[in-house]
Amino acid sequence: MEKYYNRGGSNQVHALRGIDLTIDANETICIHGPSGSGKSTLLSILGGIIGPTIGSAVVGGKKLARLPDRFLTLYRREHIGFIFQRFQLIPELSVLENVTLPLLPLGVRPAQQKKRAMELLEKLEIDHRSDFPAAEISGGELQRAAVARALINDPSIIIADEPTAHLDTRLSEDFLSIMSDLKKLGKTIVIASHDPLVSESPVVDRCLYLRDGALAAAF
Amino acid sequence: MALRYIDRQLNIADYALSGFKRRVARNVVVVFIFALVIFMVASFSLTTTSLKQAAGRLLETVPDITVQKMSAGRQVNLTEDAVDKLENIFGIRSVRPRVWGYYFDENNGANYTVIGHPKLSEKSPLPGLGIDYLPEMQLDTVAENAVIGRGVRQSLELGSRRTFSLFRPDLTLKSFITAGAFGADTSMVTDDLIIMDLQAARDLFGLAPAEITDLLVDVANPLEIDNIADKIGERLQGVRVVTRERIAKTYRVAFGWRSGFGLACLFGAMAAFAIFAWDKATGLTPAQQREVAILKVVGWQTEDVITLRFWESIIISASALGLGYLGAWMHLLFFDGVLFRPVLLGWSVLKPPVSLIPVFSIGDLLIIFSLSVLPYLAATVIPAWHSAAIRPDSVI
Repeated sequence: MEKYYNRGGSNQVHALRGIDLTIDANETICIHGPSGSGKSTLLSILGGIIGPTIGSAVVGGKKLARLPDRFLTLYRREHIGFIFQRFQLIPELSVLENVTLPLLPLGVRPAQQKKRAMELLEKLEIDHRSDFPAAEISGGELQRAAVARALINDPSIIIADEPTAHLDTRLSEDFLSIMSDLKKLGKTIVIASHDPLVSESPVVDRCLYLRDGALAAAF
Repeated sequence: MALRYIDRQLNIADYALSGFKRRVARNVVVVFIFALVIFMVASFSLTTTSLKQAAGRLLETVPDITVQKMSAGRQVNLTEDAVDKLENIFGIRSVRPRVWGYYFDENNGANYTVIGHPKLSEKSPLPGLGIDYLPEMQLDTVAENAVIGRGVRQSLELGSRRTFSLFRPDLTLKSFITAGAFGADTSMVTDDLIIMDLQAARDLFGLAPAEITDLLVDVANPLEIDNIADKIGERLQGVRVVTRERIAKTYRVAFGWRSGFGLACLFGAMAAFAIFAWDKATGLTPAQQREVAILKVVGWQTEDVITLRFWESIIISASALGLGYLGAWMHLLFFDGVLFRPVLLGWSVLKPPVSLIPVFSIGDLLIIFSLSVLPYLAATVIPAWHSAAIRPDSVI
């Protein structure tokens, strides 16, 4: 699989080169590498947000590159829980409202939305902050809220992009503990991180090293 | 499936409402400006409808046909024998003589319209005037009974008194006693009106015994009015025959072109607002773009985002429509349509004050809806198509 940005143009970027990767179900992968190595691009392709330029990403038998945008959205909705580098919660919305965002277009009723969201928030121990605006909670709470939003549709695949980049050691360990619990639930987890705390964690089954858009090693 | 669709719409509408609250300052300004534009259009429409209805009530007092004698282009008096010449025309139900004129009160500079009606002594209902006769009306003093309008009562400073006097042409006084009151909703017609018996009006104006001002003709079949009007014109020489429809047409033309002109001017305001809305909708702030990208990543489709914009527009335009229409209603009810009365009434501002009553018309409301909500939806939802296509990877 290859990915180019602005292909053929003077500002062409060859973000991914010759990626040949298989991830098994229930496996936890860490993609390790310096900034600009293509980690986020690879995650975006796996998450069905963008498509590769050459080659394809096949998830659960479906070739993502060939799906129209509408079906990519459905794919993300049903199979992917995405945790962003900066969490990307909507600051004016409460934690509860942020977590239930993926449920709105599904027609889930408000009572059911709240029930599902509060169950997750209780497990993640931030139910006491459910009514607080996202702009008013701490970094660790933001992280947990982002995890809750990613899990609200019970996806089979969790994709986390630099989840510990803005967290201290304790909160990073908390995050890894959550990932460990998700792994026990049978989730497939792909984490992009250049944090050694993540790459060296026992939660991770396999660590891939990405450099200049190519997989350099696996360990 | 239908239930799930409805639930989806309700969820997105609820999210749109929360978005409205989150950006309340900006949205309140938009709603206010939009409501102001709707207020102007609705005020104009309500004032026009109210005036048309008032004119319609006035037309109820107008007989099917009015016959006036003309000489040198001016109206002159008839004699009562003209009644006999018309009564045998087939299709005419009744012919009534009428005396009317203007009485100038030198004490206060007011002009009253005086009508002498042959049926006043019978406590006749007099179509369109809604006279509420006093039970104390004395039939043996029928020549002195009169029904006066509110404006006349105020000009004469009667207070609670019932008797008043007017001057004949020879400056002798003629006394009257009020015998009833006009309906409250007839003020446009009756504010300066005095109705008395036919003979009393002759006496007041110093007319000869058989002299009358015009003839009021009622027709059995309204479809025959024009035919009978032609026959009357053939039967009586030198007369002007005016049908009710002709008077109605005059009112329609008078209000119609003024109303249309006013609305045409207000269209400019509506168009300017629609352009403003379009311009606003085509450019999203970075925060809004980020929000759309986040929604797309967590599973919102492009159509969901467009549905969100649709509901946002509905909330704003419905709020503005409600406020604007309510404001227009209150403008007419409590302030008598002061902004647009001069435009619509024209010379009539010289008449005694008329209270306009707002009339709810589903047709008018639909027109206002079509001129306000629909263009706003088009101006905001169409550009939303473009912004809804924001790529979700912009937040990665």
